[in-house]
Amino acid sequence: MSLDPVTASALEIAAAVHSRQITARAVTEKLLAHIATTHGRINAFTTVTNDRALAEADAVDATLAAGRDPGPLAGAPYAVKNLFDLAGVVTVAGSKINRDDPPAARDATAVARLHAAGAVCLGALNMGEYAYDFTNENCHYGAVHNPRDLIRSAGGSSGGSGAAVAAGLVPLALGTDTNGSIRVPSSFCGIWGLKPTYGRLSRAGSFPFVDSLDHIGPFARSVGDLTAAYDIMQGPDPLDAACAQRPIEPALPGLNTGLAGLRIAILGGYFEQGGEPSVHAAVSTLAAALGVTRRIELPVPSLARAAAYLITAAESGQFHLGRLRTRAADFEPPIRDRLLAGALTPSAWYLQAQRFRHWWQGQVREIFRDVDVLLAPATPLPAPVLGQDTFLFNGKEVPLRPSIGLFTQPITFIGLPVVAAPVHTVGPMPVAVQLIGAPWNEAALLRVARVLEETGVCTAPVAHLAA
Amino acid sequence: MPTINDPAVIAEIAALHDAYESALAANDVATLTRYFWDSPEVIRYGVVEHLYGAEQIKAYRVANAVVITDRKLLKRTIVTFGPDLASVMCEFSQVARGRTGHSRQSQTWVRLPEAGWRIVSAHVSLALPPPESEWGAYADRAAAAIALPLAVPHRPGTVQNLERAAAIAAPLLAHALPVGTEPASVFTA
Repeated sequence: MSLDPVTASALEIAAAVHSRQITARAVTEKLLAHIATTHGRINAFTTVTNDRALAEADAVDATLAAGRDPGPLAGAPYAVKNLFDLAGVVTVAGSKINRDDPPAARDATAVARLHAAGAVCLGALNMGEYAYDFTNENCHYGAVHNPRDLIRSAGGSSGGSGAAVAAGLVPLALGTDTNGSIRVPSSFCGIWGLKPTYGRLSRAGSFPFVDSLDHIGPFARSVGDLTAAYDIMQGPDPLDAACAQRPIEPALPGLNTGLAGLRIAILGGYFEQGGEPSVHAAVSTLAAALGVTRRIELPVPSLARAAAYLITAAESGQFHLGRLRTRAADFEPPIRDRLLAGALTPSAWYLQAQRFRHWWQGQVREIFRDVDVLLAPATPLPAPVLGQDTFLFNGKEVPLRPSIGLFTQPITFIGLPVVAAPVHTVGPMPVAVQLIGAPWNEAALLRVARVLEETGVCTAPVAHLAA
Repeated sequence: MPTINDPAVIAEIAALHDAYESALAANDVATLTRYFWDSPEVIRYGVVEHLYGAEQIKAYRVANAVVITDRKLLKRTIVTFGPDLASVMCEFSQVARGRTGHSRQSQTWVRLPEAGWRIVSAHVSLALPPPESEWGAYADRAAAAIALPLAVPHRPGTVQNLERAAAIAAPLLAHALPVGTEPASVFTA
């Protein structure tokens, strides 16, 4: 049986490369060609690192030929949101302004760790400008088109990452999530995403958005790939002050241990209200498959969302202050206006939000004494059409872009780990369900994800692109 | 009863009004003067000026050439009464004397036996701008305090975002927290 790099998982590719069924170069050339022929329709990549990819692939093949092990992701292709540093490439972070920066001198920590594991980097992916976005309709680089329906958004801000994985351009991609930027593209593109605990993975070498809330994480079409990439990127890093000084806790060894001992509940109240029926049907589908009927509510989730909104505005406005002073006209207009307003946030709002965050974290920690995994929708709707401005929420027409993160923002707000689990059976477009865990308990979420994948409840097939 | 809104008469007036607007954009005083009834009875009220008679109108135009840019017709209503009488009412947005404004223009046109169609009375006024959000003044002061230039085109969106954030902040500020709750980002050595 021959391996098709477009549909194969990263671990399947690595196994085939290890066993010399296929060379890393052949895999890389196949996907570079696939990227080239589909680019005009999807617009997921902003830079394709052809030379780097072929050099990395050749190095993997040479290592194997010399009888050495190139690593667990030998020859497995991946790409990164264009806010990750790639040595020799300008880190544009979705902006026009950063094009004037010099090329990155070295790889981001996460990229360096994937490289050390034998993975092959194919390039940098489109994103919403400076990550302040949920639809990836970027005015400088063009919108990313959802491979499952090209007139629709792939989500944001890691839209290129979601689209690239869904289209089979790469089996693995990196994104970042501050208010939902991994979970939203996972939901709109129907693929797996992992936003680990705040501080679990090093953000060093990624262009920041909101220091208090920024996370990095992987996208994949299989739980095995998601877990393998996560394990490889773990570990302390002195270059990221928020990166925890914890030993690596690999999740792959226990991935197939099933649900034994896990207490799972549906997140009720706020998370069951509003949104399109399919997103709640997806939660019900997972709950039925897992035999879950218990409901748990979090206290005042709407205030957690409000506080996340204010912290985002204040910190990002402050971070971009220099650019706002000198190059305001070069930002994407709606993002510029959000950042300008954010730079003017009264400190009383910001500090109340940070106090609330401390208090709420304690409240939610208590809840996790009694439960391990919570289920909630990732987005209040499946992928909207590009250019769409509003949608119906609780029977009321609400602005689309500020509302997409209603179910994701309260969770990132206190850094809880989340797996976005894709469901393709509740409507014409997929949606994802958040599997939310206690801090540092990614392993439990990945075990549940593996069960959902094995039973076929959650799938992430490559999208069939019309010719 | 005269025919109201005879399409042929409306077309005639629309063409004349278009030509008048072109002359205004070009500050073509001779043409503008010619469109007004040459009579001591003609009246034109401007935004600040009150002009009685053709001589005053002409003199004012010569002495006060105003450069109007970006004048956009937002709404024009022409009503004609029989073949010889028409009312033209317009709303414009424009930049005059360096300021963007919303203006209104009223004209009464009469077809005179000798001269043909002439404006016999006219009135121009500026609409008051909508009341400014209190966040506008806040934005100006706060931006100045952190040396952040707030360009005119960027101000409305900034103010709108501050209004939205204020609405989001209100219930959070009203939420009582236990005394001594420290901000989450507290430093621990």
